[in-house]
Amino acid sequence: MEQLTNLVVAEGELTNIARTLGRLALDTNAGHTLLLDKSGQLISAQGSGPQRDLIALGALLAGAFSSSRQVAEILGERDFRAIYQQGAYESIYTLMIGEQWLLVVVFDKQTHVGLVKVLARKASEELERILQRVRQGSAQAREQVVSVQFRDSVSNTIDLLFQD
Amino acid sequence: MALINVANREIQCKIVYYGTGFCGKTTNLHYIYGHAPARAHGAMRSIATENERTLFFDFLPIDLGTVHGFRVQFALYTVPGQVLYERTRVAVLNGVDGVVFVADSSPEKLEENFQNLIELETNMRRMGKDLGSFPFVMQWNKRDLPNAVPVATLDRYLNRRHVPAFPACATTGEGVFATLRAICKAVMAVL
Repeated sequence: MEQLTNLVVAEGELTNIARTLGRLALDTNAGHTLLLDKSGQLISAQGSGPQRDLIALGALLAGAFSSSRQVAEILGERDFRAIYQQGAYESIYTLMIGEQWLLVVVFDKQTHVGLVKVLARKASEELERILQRVRQGSAQAREQVVSVQFRDSVSNTIDLLFQD
Repeated sequence: MALINVANREIQCKIVYYGTGFCGKTTNLHYIYGHAPARAHGAMRSIATENERTLFFDFLPIDLGTVHGFRVQFALYTVPGQVLYERTRVAVLNGVDGVVFVADSSPEKLEENFQNLIELETNMRRMGKDLGSFPFVMQWNKRDLPNAVPVATLDRYLNRRHVPAFPACATTGEGVFATLRAICKAVMAVL
């Protein structure tokens, strides 16, 4: 089979990502700042908001974003690069980074959306630079993780867990 | 796109169940949710209409636990099967690592299965992926129907690539885990 596209986020870069998200959460007083892969997988989350099912949140937000891009296509719009979901108490701003990642800011009514937009844009530029480095280092980092033994062990675990 | 998070020691992959309306995609996920060990899955989320037809997708996170120090997770999704949701299916396929095509064994659904499979191939091609070289398995669902199309016929018309195919009855669970095991292993094989 052909090699799958995969992205390997190394330790140092994850620290950089977390730092950028943490600063954004602090500056916007956001409950959560998330970095998602466009397929809905959560890469990193920061913020001191209430405990939430961030895995499901990531899947749903990525789905909504992906859906909006299909809407853009029907309208003949080149792209929708951001979505703003406005709630009575909490709102969500989602911004696309490159063609691969989504930056999500969950903030409450005390923060003005204009501030979130400006600071999210700034953070996205920083994250895009990190993403470039992650892409370049991906193949090498992958070799360190995925071995034949690893694949065999995963295969055995799958057999063990999912029995008829 | 599989995500390998070295710092958090996590591997995440996305699997999509594709197929026509009422072919049993959601039933597959319900069975997995109800019968896999509780520690191996999270909560199932469905975005459905009032009469429980899938509107956007179903989502079920699967957790294999820690293997060689890495937590391995699969996110299972279904697409809405009805014809009008074609664009929604494209949205759900975004970033997929493996596909299960669930075919309905009813004779009157044979042509619809075929059209749906062509649509899947087209959507994958638009994303730059060729099903011939991609983790892909098929499931012949509803084998309990008295007039089910013979497996050999389904194989001849729908499985030109000769990928692994599993007879199933998702309501009783027959073939559900065999399909899941096969697609998870296919995804891991190319990670």
